[in-house]
Amino acid sequence: MGTVHARSLEPLPMSGPDFGALGEEAELVEVEPEAKQEILENKDVVVQHVHFDGLGRTKDDIIMYEICDVFKAKNLIDVMKKSHEAREKLLRLGIFRQVEVLIDTCQGDDALPNGLDVTFEVTELRRLTGSYNTMVGNNEGSMVLGLKFPNLFGRAEKVTFQFSYGTKETSYGLSFFKPQPGNFERNFSVNLYKVTGQFPWSSLRETDRGVSTEFNFPIWKTNHTLKWEGVWRELGCLARTASFSVREESGHSLKSSLSHAMVIDSRNSSILPRRGALLKINQELAGYTGGDVSFLKEDFEFQLNKQLLWDSVFSASLWGGMLVPIGDKPSSIADRFYLGGPTSVRGFSMYSIGPQSEGDYLGGEAYWAGGLHLYTPLPFRPGRGGFGDLFRTHFFLNAGNLCNLNYGDGPRAHLQKLAEYIRWSYGAGIVLRLGNIARLELNYCFPMGVQSGDRICDGVQFGAGIRFL
Amino acid sequence: MALAAEAFMTQLAAAEPWPENAALYQQLKDEQILLSDNASSLAVQAFLQMCNLPVRVVCRANAEYMSPSGKVPFIHVGNQVVSELGPIVQFVKAKGHSLSDGLDEVQKAEMKAYMELVNNMLLTAELYLQWCDDVTVEEITHLRYGSPYPWPLNRILSYQKQWEIRRKMKAIGWAGKSLEQVLEDVDQCCQALSQRLGTQPYFFNKQPTELDALVFGHLFTILTTQLTSDELSEKVKNYSNLIAFCRRIEQQYFEGHDKDSSSSATSRSAKRSLLR
Repeated sequence: MGTVHARSLEPLPMSGPDFGALGEEAELVEVEPEAKQEILENKDVVVQHVHFDGLGRTKDDIIMYEICDVFKAKNLIDVMKKSHEAREKLLRLGIFRQVEVLIDTCQGDDALPNGLDVTFEVTELRRLTGSYNTMVGNNEGSMVLGLKFPNLFGRAEKVTFQFSYGTKETSYGLSFFKPQPGNFERNFSVNLYKVTGQFPWSSLRETDRGVSTEFNFPIWKTNHTLKWEGVWRELGCLARTASFSVREESGHSLKSSLSHAMVIDSRNSSILPRRGALLKINQELAGYTGGDVSFLKEDFEFQLNKQLLWDSVFSASLWGGMLVPIGDKPSSIADRFYLGGPTSVRGFSMYSIGPQSEGDYLGGEAYWAGGLHLYTPLPFRPGRGGFGDLFRTHFFLNAGNLCNLNYGDGPRAHLQKLAEYIRWSYGAGIVLRLGNIARLELNYCFPMGVQSGDRICDGVQFGAGIRFL
Repeated sequence: MALAAEAFMTQLAAAEPWPENAALYQQLKDEQILLSDNASSLAVQAFLQMCNLPVRVVCRANAEYMSPSGKVPFIHVGNQVVSELGPIVQFVKAKGHSLSDGLDEVQKAEMKAYMELVNNMLLTAELYLQWCDDVTVEEITHLRYGSPYPWPLNRILSYQKQWEIRRKMKAIGWAGKSLEQVLEDVDQCCQALSQRLGTQPYFFNKQPTELDALVFGHLFTILTTQLTSDELSEKVKNYSNLIAFCRRIEQQYFEGHDKDSSSSATSRSAKRSLLR
């Protein structure tokens, strides 16, 4: 009987950023030639035992869920496929550094003639991993320390702690994550954090200290998140010359909100996708679980990609949102929407569209923004097949508007107000893709429809980020 | 850098006349403001009244955080925001109004010395009483300071401020003092003020100066604020010329204004206690 070593196969394509790093090269399946060669493919087999080698603190029940499918395999190819899927699922749990699969015939007294044994050889991650980085940003340097406890109690729970100590601000975050055994997509996490941000376009400084719990669960093809968040927000002026409207918003407030988000993502990648669509709808209700900030906030994001002739991709996107304050208190500058910048309507300075006072942008309660893009490979395709594939040329048309609505009027008046002073821009540039995480852009922009008070960045504009219009 | 900014601001200030819509910001009058902040705010209001500059009082829960220096009161005049009595006096002087122009150098130095006395003794004693005396902290301060905010923010802000003030007290050496010692200091301060005032209407004879405004702000607030015990106001009441001084300034500069709710409230509470 031949011995089949099934080590590792080419990984099946998976969506989401977690799995991209786990890809390995394909290896040929070796079959040791023996005197009698049989065609194993069509032979009926039964998986009799599945062994695990190398389990330490991981509990048995979560392993059982991930590998139960292996027992259902009927022929050899099926066994190899199901074992490979089980391996991917085990790696997804984030508790093993390495998983190797060995398929062998069954030995021993109770062995059937067509019985197989599948052995998973696993190496668990260490109990504690740490990381230390230094970061240098705009006039600021900081030290970032990260600690991670993977698989804390044996069922893929994870605790991470990150602490950043900088010349200007200090921030930290502690998070506990637990997936449901057998159903990794359903999980919940609890986070504790303090973050500080400086927003020079509004001359505003914000410090948030908060706690949040969230549940993620899939329903059919959509992914839902339910979250409760309690944040103590402290706002302050960034400079003595901040406008009085921003000065009036300084002080403390407590926001306690429930939010729900739904995501349907059929794109093949989140950075420079070639096909597929994305729809994200998010709503947040604050004020009914405590706190002194009360509003209902809705926003959505839609993107559609279609591949055209000659390796070019056409992409259309639409964003929009609305903030309705509940009660007679006006909305806070920290909750409002902002528009403009290299990741939003290009050709305008960062968040520099819309209502402003003495040069400080106050944000608005309603906005919409849309973009049409055409991505093509670089002209003359330099570096094809290698480095050159990371770059794309892109032609874009962006438009948007940000304003405050009079909630007493009807929807017709709202639509009119949003259509009143549309800012738009067009241009072309180069996009560089950084792994599966981020994207850099260098564009030449022509801003149009500029209203008094907006700050533009016509000509060359550079942008880096994760989420682009 | 700060000096250059100061000089620049003074130049800007001098250019414009005093506008109609000047506003003074302080915390909420009835529920939130504490003794020391009320005293400081009243001192600035008295000073502006003495200079005949109209200002309206605006009460905001976040006045302390709006202020560029973190202290109330602050005034919003045209485009400028100035906080605390000292800088406000400078700012007003740059606009051409001053109460202490008639004084010679010796008198100006004396005035500064007495103002320092009030700030170092009276104001610190008020802060001590509010934040370091456990009875007052429990029954009055914690309830008032965080009252505009929801739980648990009211508690957090209150404790944060208490910790900050206690640290300051430790730094200036007042942490070890007992309440009796603090009241003794208040008595000594009042004695010095009373002696300087003598039988004159104001500290520098006929005309009021910023020293008068400052002393009035503190003494009047001490006399008219209900605390857990009357010990603090008793110390001031020992000096009859100080009580007369407060009454005089109140009648001259605050009684005429019925529209301004803050000053009419002041006069109402004044009538309550000064007529006893």
